[in-house]
Amino acid sequence: MKQAKATLHGNGDLWQTLVVVFLRGGADGLALMPAVGDDDYHRARPFTAVSKTAALKLDDRFGLNPLMNALEPAVKEGALSAVHCVGSGDTTRSHFEAQDLMEHGGHTGGGWLGRFLRFRERASGGALSAVALGQAVPESLRGAPAATAMQSLNDFSFSGGDKFVQSLEQLYGGQIGVFGARARDTFNALGRIRELHAKDYSPANGADYSVDRFARELRLASQLIKARVGVEVITIDLGGWDSHLSQGPLISPLMRRLANGLAAFRRDLGAAMRQTTVVVMSEFGRRVSENSALGTDHGRGGVMFVLGGDGAEGRVIADWPGLKRDALVGPGDLAVTTDFRDVLIPILRRHALDADMAKIFPGHEPRPLGQAAGDA
Amino acid sequence: MMELDRRQFLQAGGTAAVLGTAGCDAPHKALWPYTGLPNEAKPPFAPPSGDSIDLATHTLNRLTFGARPGQHERILRLARREEDAVDKFIDEQLASEKINDDRAEFRVKKFETLALAPIGEFYEFRPHILREELTRATLTRAVYSERQLYEVMVRFWSDHFNIDISKGECKWLKPADDRDVIRPHALGKFPELLAASARSQAMLTFLDGRENRVRKPEDRPNENYARELLELHTLGIHGGYTQQDVMEIARCLSGWRIGRGLFQVGKVQFEPGLHDNRTKTVLGETIPVRTGRDGRKDFDDVLRIVAAHPSTGRHIASKLCQRFIADEPPAAAIDTVAREFTKTKGDIRETLRALFATDEFRGTRGNKFKQPLHFLASALRGIDAESDVGRPLVNYLERMGHMPFEYPAPDGYPTHAEPSMSTLLWRWNFAAKLAQGQIKGTRIQHERLTKRAGDSAKLAAHLLGRQPSDDELAAAKASGNPIGLLLSSPGFQWS
Repeated sequence: MKQAKATLHGNGDLWQTLVVVFLRGGADGLALMPAVGDDDYHRARPFTAVSKTAALKLDDRFGLNPLMNALEPAVKEGALSAVHCVGSGDTTRSHFEAQDLMEHGGHTGGGWLGRFLRFRERASGGALSAVALGQAVPESLRGAPAATAMQSLNDFSFSGGDKFVQSLEQLYGGQIGVFGARARDTFNALGRIRELHAKDYSPANGADYSVDRFARELRLASQLIKARVGVEVITIDLGGWDSHLSQGPLISPLMRRLANGLAAFRRDLGAAMRQTTVVVMSEFGRRVSENSALGTDHGRGGVMFVLGGDGAEGRVIADWPGLKRDALVGPGDLAVTTDFRDVLIPILRRHALDADMAKIFPGHEPRPLGQAAGDA
Repeated sequence: MMELDRRQFLQAGGTAAVLGTAGCDAPHKALWPYTGLPNEAKPPFAPPSGDSIDLATHTLNRLTFGARPGQHERILRLARREEDAVDKFIDEQLASEKINDDRAEFRVKKFETLALAPIGEFYEFRPHILREELTRATLTRAVYSERQLYEVMVRFWSDHFNIDISKGECKWLKPADDRDVIRPHALGKFPELLAASARSQAMLTFLDGRENRVRKPEDRPNENYARELLELHTLGIHGGYTQQDVMEIARCLSGWRIGRGLFQVGKVQFEPGLHDNRTKTVLGETIPVRTGRDGRKDFDDVLRIVAAHPSTGRHIASKLCQRFIADEPPAAAIDTVAREFTKTKGDIRETLRALFATDEFRGTRGNKFKQPLHFLASALRGIDAESDVGRPLVNYLERMGHMPFEYPAPDGYPTHAEPSMSTLLWRWNFAAKLAQGQIKGTRIQHERLTKRAGDSAKLAAHLLGRQPSDDELAAAKASGNPIGLLLSSPGFQWS
């Protein structure tokens, strides 16, 4: 039994992957997911508000920014959940502090994804269990049992060559027990990596990735997931959301990139989306009112998106305090009414039943997520 | 110690003049910043010749991060009998301060943040620079230090008193903890190490000791440090303490903080107003009522009581035996080592000496799976690689999940085999690339190395610590990358 588990774990047949997209810079939740049904929203954003008719409807109160129309099928097919007024307890409104707090999963060391992979009964993940697309491993993956930063498939190549692998297989052939099992897993993974390199990748179902870096990284993520090399966590950054001035021109292309990328990814994965979850998060939302430069300043409550298989998601989760002056916090920020960890916990449970939440989010008292708001 | 700055050096008339006055063929170490490290002699060497791991190789496997070319032969030359020679090597390594380590120290000198003086200065650096330099210095020392056992013990205590550098202000505080707590005491006295750790700014931060305050009698102190002190640092989980002891210790340790004001940054301070001054009972011993600044004495009492507790000796002994003998160490060895620990009041050197003298240590060979850092360092040492220990190398350690100072829980990296076995892919990849010279900043000289060993079979014997089997030789030859293959082979993964 034990051996079977090990094999499952190492060669990718485990087959569940969590993709975490971090929008660095503090993405404006009210731009991504405007409260078009709330008059106070239109009053607070006289120049940049999205009209109710233009927005992609989520429920009576919320819509998605029309620049994110590419996600319409996902919304229609119940594959996308949108969470508003979500965030951490951070009140410094500093990018650095707030990102750390979120990526560490609380006031603790190490990353929540690192602990997710390390602290479970089935013990440590395989060599390719965690992949950070980009130059460096993010804080969220600190302490992972294995974490690989990669920018292209070449970072994944095995430089040994066939003769090398064959010679190794001869020497490892006689190994027994866990060591032997892990070696066999590794040879399996090597075979799959080789296949990955052998053929050009063409996305399935006519998925059309654009040429920007985010799309390229999602394409690579999809490639890795389909190759079943044992990737359980993939992190991707999409930066540039710090829109203190002229917010429109700054984040419009980002919103488009985000939505187009995710839509192509979903299409490309097809049925494999059922074993895949994408979480989109940011360190904080932004000030409710526009500043004089038509930008917004650092705030508190923001949004998260969760993309899963058809029908797996499709909820709007928002304990909405409203935008009246007395409902805002600090210098005029949307309150945090949902802790980001409470969004993550059910997802992590789905991905690994034996994950130890008390260790992943130490000191956090979980609260079940609110029921769907509105009448969607 | 002679130190020259650049101007003095130029005034002295350049290298030739100074070399002339120094009267030797290699530049004095004061000149290394200008000349670079002088080349080391790389003479031919005789690798181990036994069919299985001999005592000298075994000792190198366990006390060091792997044998460098010629080290085995050198040990055997220390005495006529192998047993005596190994004893001498152990004595040498235990007396680490007598070992000249200029070359390794020179290599880490470029990491300027290691030398920052008062702790407040660390705050002037970006955290990722501090982390990067500390990590690179750690790996550099593992590979190049002559004080190998000392470095092995620095790693051991770093895990025992684990601090995850990414938690809060530990980003700035851990480098000082490494320099001022772990390193000075790694082969010293356990009670002193424990006391230094207990008052370490990084530890006070990592385990929330600085947040432990009792203003009013009904305030509940923060128990985090008190619990780990008993469970991990001293008595061990089954060491015979109760939840009541944890709470009483937390009360004893209330009121300690880290200063923030001007000139106070990083100063560990006791504030009587935040201390619970009522009487407490710790592991059966009464701590009297202490008012005002006298309350600080509770701290010393607690540390004295837990350090001297018999369970502490057993706990430390079993962890040491686990590191140096076997994942499931024999009880007899633990008994011997625990007795020595208690007898010497926690003298780490003498405790280790007793451990290395046990039959269990000497007889249990080749059964410890190398942790990733050990594997990586032993590969570099084995092939005499010249490395700047830069990111391309460090990335492999990250891929293998064994970055120093990044274990995300208080108990430190596990030393037993299984958790390290999942990342063979990266071991093989690393070994193949290393041997092909494809890791930026790291070089090896194949032909010279093979020549020094005698032939490729002898080089294999050096890397494996014994005669290679026919299968191993055939596989190495067929692989097209013999050194890479040997470093990837099952035999090289164990120590």
